[in-house]
Amino acid sequence: MTVYIIRRLLYTVPIVVGVLLLTFFLFSVVGGDISQQIAGKNADAETIAEIRHEYGFDKPLFWSLDSQFIDHFRKALTFNFGRALDREKISDKILRGVGPSLSLTVPMFLGTLVLSISLALMVAFVRGSWLDVAAVVLCVAGMSIPYLSFIIYGQYIFAYKLGLFPIMYMPEESLLTSLALPVLIGIAAGLGGNLRFYRTIVLDEMRSDYVRTAFAKGLSTSKVLFKHVLKNALIPIITSVVLSIPYLFLGSLLLERFFGIPGLGSLMIEAIASRDFFIINAMTFIFSLLIVVFTLLTDICYAWADPRIKLE
Amino acid sequence: MKKRTVQIRPAAMVLLVLAVCLPAGCRRRPDSSASERMVIRVPMFSKIQTLDCGNLTDVYSIGVASQIYESLYEYHYLKRPVELVPLLAEDMPDISEDHLTYTIRIRKGIFYHDDPCFPDGKGREVKAADFVFALKRIANVKYMSQRWTDWNGRIVGLDEFREYTKGFRRESDVDYSVEVEGLRALDDYTLQLKLTKPWPQLIWYLASAVTAPVPREAVDYYGKDIMYHPVGTGPFRLKVWERGFYIELVRNEKWHGGTYPTEGEPSDWENGYLEDAGKPLPFADAIVYRVIEEFQPAWLMFLRGDLDIMQIFKDNFAQAVNPDTLTATPAMAERDIRLLVFDDPSVFWIGFHMQDPVLGRNKPLRKAISRAIDRQAAIRLFFNGVHKVAYGYLPPGLEEYDPNIVHTDYAKYDPAEARALLQEAQQIHGGPIPPLTIAIPGTSNLDRQIGQFLQKYLADVGLQLRVDYMDWPTYLDGLNKGKLQIFFSGASPSIPDSLDMLMAFCSWNWGYGGNHFHYSNPEFDALYRQAEPMFPGPERTRLCRQMERIMLEDCPAVFLNHRVAIAIIHGWYKNAKPHEFSYNTAKYRRIDLEKRNRYKELLKELKKKPK
Repeated sequence: MTVYIIRRLLYTVPIVVGVLLLTFFLFSVVGGDISQQIAGKNADAETIAEIRHEYGFDKPLFWSLDSQFIDHFRKALTFNFGRALDREKISDKILRGVGPSLSLTVPMFLGTLVLSISLALMVAFVRGSWLDVAAVVLCVAGMSIPYLSFIIYGQYIFAYKLGLFPIMYMPEESLLTSLALPVLIGIAAGLGGNLRFYRTIVLDEMRSDYVRTAFAKGLSTSKVLFKHVLKNALIPIITSVVLSIPYLFLGSLLLERFFGIPGLGSLMIEAIASRDFFIINAMTFIFSLLIVVFTLLTDICYAWADPRIKLE
Repeated sequence: MKKRTVQIRPAAMVLLVLAVCLPAGCRRRPDSSASERMVIRVPMFSKIQTLDCGNLTDVYSIGVASQIYESLYEYHYLKRPVELVPLLAEDMPDISEDHLTYTIRIRKGIFYHDDPCFPDGKGREVKAADFVFALKRIANVKYMSQRWTDWNGRIVGLDEFREYTKGFRRESDVDYSVEVEGLRALDDYTLQLKLTKPWPQLIWYLASAVTAPVPREAVDYYGKDIMYHPVGTGPFRLKVWERGFYIELVRNEKWHGGTYPTEGEPSDWENGYLEDAGKPLPFADAIVYRVIEEFQPAWLMFLRGDLDIMQIFKDNFAQAVNPDTLTATPAMAERDIRLLVFDDPSVFWIGFHMQDPVLGRNKPLRKAISRAIDRQAAIRLFFNGVHKVAYGYLPPGLEEYDPNIVHTDYAKYDPAEARALLQEAQQIHGGPIPPLTIAIPGTSNLDRQIGQFLQKYLADVGLQLRVDYMDWPTYLDGLNKGKLQIFFSGASPSIPDSLDMLMAFCSWNWGYGGNHFHYSNPEFDALYRQAEPMFPGPERTRLCRQMERIMLEDCPAVFLNHRVAIAIIHGWYKNAKPHEFSYNTAKYRRIDLEKRNRYKELLKELKKKPK
């Protein structure tokens, strides 16, 4: 196992280098010099030249120890991403956004996961009944409704009309109060797809011989469902769950924007809109690292969940 | 035991999540409107970039910074046409006979906000040297101020100081004690500015937060992070800035004071703008700015009474505005919500590159394009019919605006004449006009609709138009480097001075200087030179109008519309007289707390009312 982990960690090196090469090509070679944009409409040529110098756009692209290429790698590998277009440190921006983003996405993720797996077990058990059909219909309906509609109607009905929640994130109130509605909306919007996915997985297991054997032996329904079926369905669940975790760090773009939550989703939208390649670069790099780490964790979890899998 | 745990885990987790979410969600939030603290709550639809006064450019940053910083002069809140009055200056400047030397006495007893940058945390008194430092800082090339262009070539010795700063690596390395002949503190309370040539607009710049005094201590203490730590003298100081979404300013208890104006326009009495005449300022205890980038939550917050003022968007126009009278709809009126409608001095246009081989030497072609576009239709379609047709360039609200311009035919929509002009244009060109290309900055639906609109109207007269939808940096780069054949653009003057706008057509300002049309007319240039040193008056107005007519005849652009701004406010938001150029207006605003506290009850009553 240890050897496997070390080998997998070593694999991350070419992946990270590949990501860095790609981002450099996209943002520095193709994207190019954005000093004019930083300087604004009224700046004179001298100020633009200073900004070009400050952000290193006047350095050679490749063939120098002080090139933009080396700089790109140095910044990423030291996690010192420099300053954004608005001249704030990128690391400060990211650190500030992680908390609100995770406060939103973690409960949303856990809520969706627990509800959808529990409901999937339930409806799979009563498959073919009116309850199962109703659940499938509702799931398809939920998947068909655009995410934005959940947000707009949720905000209008529960916050504005019924007054149960603040309309937007209110710094003067607790994080819990402000985030409750977006979390619930996120759970509601994500439930349809997840429930269908897990239902399919559970149904595959329910049709297995060992389930019939377990019932024949007289085991209780809950024991069969939670001990046997759920355990055997864990592999696809782990794949889906662990690989979703890196996305939690990206926040939720739409929810954050509509509820004014100062998370990383907002940061990314803002960076894309303002062509702030420095932020996009940093976020892409961090995200790629998370993907690599969590892919490794997924493999380790496979071995834990299924003794037949050996990591060599 | 272990088995049992496995059984209950999913259910327990569901309960846990619900337990976390529901009590929080179902708890009613404390009714902040019932507070006795007078807090003004304003939405902002864009994030502010900086609160460092020497580098303020966007209106949102200026809007917030102007409550924190104060400059030498300010706009009289109520008088129109706009008028300046002293703020940190003792009185209006003494100007030498040759109009080259300004001597300004500074008020004594003005103190900066308390801040850790000062030795004992207590704000010190403002000195004339602080104004000198602030301007030198803008000139420091290492500081990279976007406001240097305002000062370039204006003050004796300041350009040399800028040259001197080029030799340093960092902003902080520059020695600010180096003398600048035209920028001196004669003593602690006297500032002297010497100009290279008469510059009548200077006084307007001295009324901007950009020229506010800056304590050297703050610059040294905060370094580059001074953008988040404004240290000013204004009636409000920064308490919280959760970057990107929330700003709270609180009353500066050490403010030097001021009173609400006692005179204004005749209509100010009937509009209630003089009810607080002579009362001490500021009225509010705090101002909260919420950055809300989506329309829906801002509108819902406004309707629920969580915001005091809102801007009208296309989506809520029908709900809020009666388009025939430009007043609030009955549904808004019964909530005691009303509109503020005012001319925003701005102009939007389709500009031509005058050195373009197709367009530059073909005036009939440019005129044909002008005749082909129905400006009224554009205003109806894109601006709810509210904006005004731009018959000329200078917008209403400026002293030099020519009211007779509406009787000219520069903005005439006449497809038949456009076709005739096109015939003429083809003869000049020596054949059919090739497809033209317009650059539009933006890729939103509205941008695309505008592009399609222009394509349709030009196609109607036989011209093909290609539209390049560009992101802002690409567009700006193309504009400055003269790479755009036709471009969609607009401008709002930052100071109430037409010469500032007309500068965009001077031949020495091509490209980065602002003349993106690459327009050149010696007669226009000569008139500009003649008007440049003049102070506002009939002769200067005449020259400006003459310049405008010369330029309109040459048709370097098709001027489309002047914006009419509409804001929507709650009845409790008092003294909200719009000002086209002033930003430090929060100190005049007052909240009728009793009315605001009653609003929730009013909403309940309205719900019960039969429809």
